[in-house]
Amino acid sequence: MIRLDFEAPLARFPLRIRADLGAPVTAVMGPSGAGKTSLLDAIAGLRGIASGRIAIDDDVLVDTAAGVRVPPQRRRVGYVPQDAGLFPHLSVRENVLFGARGATKEVAHAIEALEIGPLGGRYPGNLSGGEKQRVALARALATRPRLLLLDEPLAALDVPLRERIVPYLLRVRDEWATPMLYVTHNVGEARALAGEVLLLEGGRVEAQGAPLALLATPGLSREARAGIENLFEGVIVTHDAGGGVTRVRLAGGLVVSVSIAAERAVGSAVTVAIRAEDVLVATEPVRGLSARNVYEAVVRGIERGPGDAAVRCAVRPDLQEWLARLTPAAVAELGLVEGSRIWVAVKSHSVRLASAPPRREAKAAAPGTAAP
Amino acid sequence: MSWTRRLFGPACVLSLLAAGPCASAAEITVFAAASLADALSEIGKSFESATGHHVVFNFGASSDLARQIRAGAPADVFFSADEAQMDIVTRAGLVRPAERVDVLSNTLVVVVPARTPRRLQAPSEIASFERLALADPQAVPAGVYAKSYLEKVGVWSRLADRIVPTLNVRGALAAVESENVPAAIVYRTDAATSSRVAVAFEVPRAAGPPIVYVMAPLAQASGPARLFADELASARATRVYQKYGFIVLTRT
Amino acid sequence: MPTREEWAVVLFTLRVAALGTAMILPLGVAAAALLAGRHGPGRTLLDTVFSLPLVLPPTAVGVVLLDAFARASPLGRALAEAGIQIAFDWKGVVLATSVMSFPLLVRSALTAFEEVDPRLVGLARTLGCGPLEAFFRVTLPLAWRGVLAGSVLAFARALGEFGATVMLAGNIPGRTQTLALAIFHEAQIGHDERARVLAGVTVVLAFVTLWSAEVVGRARTRRAV
Repeated sequence: MIRLDFEAPLARFPLRIRADLGAPVTAVMGPSGAGKTSLLDAIAGLRGIASGRIAIDDDVLVDTAAGVRVPPQRRRVGYVPQDAGLFPHLSVRENVLFGARGATKEVAHAIEALEIGPLGGRYPGNLSGGEKQRVALARALATRPRLLLLDEPLAALDVPLRERIVPYLLRVRDEWATPMLYVTHNVGEARALAGEVLLLEGGRVEAQGAPLALLATPGLSREARAGIENLFEGVIVTHDAGGGVTRVRLAGGLVVSVSIAAERAVGSAVTVAIRAEDVLVATEPVRGLSARNVYEAVVRGIERGPGDAAVRCAVRPDLQEWLARLTPAAVAELGLVEGSRIWVAVKSHSVRLASAPPRREAKAAAPGTAAP
Repeated sequence: MSWTRRLFGPACVLSLLAAGPCASAAEITVFAAASLADALSEIGKSFESATGHHVVFNFGASSDLARQIRAGAPADVFFSADEAQMDIVTRAGLVRPAERVDVLSNTLVVVVPARTPRRLQAPSEIASFERLALADPQAVPAGVYAKSYLEKVGVWSRLADRIVPTLNVRGALAAVESENVPAAIVYRTDAATSSRVAVAFEVPRAAGPPIVYVMAPLAQASGPARLFADELASARATRVYQKYGFIVLTRT
Repeated sequence: MPTREEWAVVLFTLRVAALGTAMILPLGVAAAALLAGRHGPGRTLLDTVFSLPLVLPPTAVGVVLLDAFARASPLGRALAEAGIQIAFDWKGVVLATSVMSFPLLVRSALTAFEEVDPRLVGLARTLGCGPLEAFFRVTLPLAWRGVLAGSVLAFARALGEFGATVMLAGNIPGRTQTLALAIFHEAQIGHDERARVLAGVTVVLAFVTLWSAEVVGRARTRRAV
């Protein structure tokens, strides 16, 4: 549990944060200049606070009233900045080992999990953006931090690269059990990773809650909303060249049709992405529609925002939740309410395939699925 | 035209209301040996109040002054501590030999800091000092004289690498005043001006090298400047020189 | 061509400058490290004090040093008792040239340290480094070229120092006479030709040192990302 209750002066307004964060991953979101990076800096000890208290579980990092101020090097907080921040004069290996005073098991684990072993002797100048971020993550993990701070770690990467790193982040979340504070503009990332979102505006906490709930919050920009994608893990089942479709079985058993992607081997793992605004909703069984993917579903909830609505649909057979973005007019016209029986439809062209990292157990990686 | 000369006209008008004549007051530049600083300043001040002309002094090592004059410095009168430097200026055609006057002589003394006075019994004891400050013995008259004396008493070779050469004789004096150097050889007249040094040994005039201060107006000097040159060899000046301990050579 | 004695003067000048630069290197780096990244009146004050010799007339600095180290001063007396001679001694030359060239080193090092991305230093802190460790493991390795360029500049300045040197150490041939002092001396006694020869040597030396400083300093902009 991260307990924040402090005030720190910023250039244009004071940063006033009061929040208790208990989720394994908390996404910190908000417009530029809202104080997100300053929040991370305050927790890491790189920025002083004027008054207040910051604590992780029972360890107080700073308490102005009690005169406690733990210096950054003793806070055991790992930091992954936006541009990786690798030390240019050190090799990858030296970067990763930088703070790891002899904790070799942890170091080996981090190097293996982030698959940066082969990069060992190279220098940051010769790494791709994705490689740099993975090294920066490993470097932070090697110090066995009790909290990880990530400042828009994927912002500098292009979209395909971004989603290839997300699985690594998921792996870190699941294997390390280290709480993470993840600053991002991207709602899709927040949804994929975070159990909770902290929304900042003008240095203050505007809202705190489940990622979906925040869609209703006026604070989100159009661009942020536009990035919402439904992400699923799946396996390539078959290619139908004549029909122009590739079939992918999702984790829960549902099989979706994607426009032909013959370069991916049958049996290889993929991440399937469907944008919320590409999901059509019907209140009657669909007939004579070109869409290849039509499934029965139930409305679990509707989140409304200004001029926007998001419908959570539990899709049979496994009731995995999809998000469909509709206009409030459509919601009203269709009379959608919680519990409504609906059909969701998606064109195979609207289903995107992204790579997943090769499974460590099954080393049969197909070409084109190398780690980014 | 210099800045001061430009104000000259209005100043003249103003001072006509005050006492004293003002017409055609000249500026006279005198380059003189450093050891003459006190005596000449006094002579210059009397001259100024008597004639209304303005005297500007440049005191320094005679060798340095001779160099400056040869390089074209605007001097009207040159008062050198030795003949060698006056010869240099004469050879350069800047002084007419007939206008040279041997004005003064001096004697050398060994000085030590006043805080730790001592008296040497013989010149050979000079070699006992850890270091000895002299005006640069390669060219400055005071140093040249001192070196010649030290060679004469057979002490120079032992002392040579312990010499601290200074820019001029007053620099040697200052080195002892600040106690940075244990002893120096300066003119007797210099030692008399300072309360922070004590005389450890006086070089008898007969034993020491012949010291002659030569003075001459420069060939291009103006009337008022020549007036001052005459003043420097006058009976009035003699009294001032004697007050400061110089040996006066001119017969007036 | 310089005579054998004159080459000895050249050698003496080079050695004194090298020794002085070596002495002020740790001091200058420490001073720059102290100032780097800080703001406020304290920094401005220290920055100004360290830069004074750059702007003051060297003779003024010489007077101050002479007063501080003269036999009559407490410091001077203590040193004299310990048998250490500063004024009119080669050690005085090293001291005078070091004081005069110190600001050049500090300013170059300061610029180099402040060019290092402060976020990198912050990251080192989160990775467990105290301020000193972060300085030695991140700032200094990334800034070393700037420090080196500053040292070469300080060395060049020490080669040419005159005013403070002549006041504190005097112009004693064979003991404290550097190239700059020798040129003055030769001119004073009318040996203009020797003065010109020596001046020529200083031009060559200055050229070589400044060229090196340029090369080293330029190379530092080609840093790895």
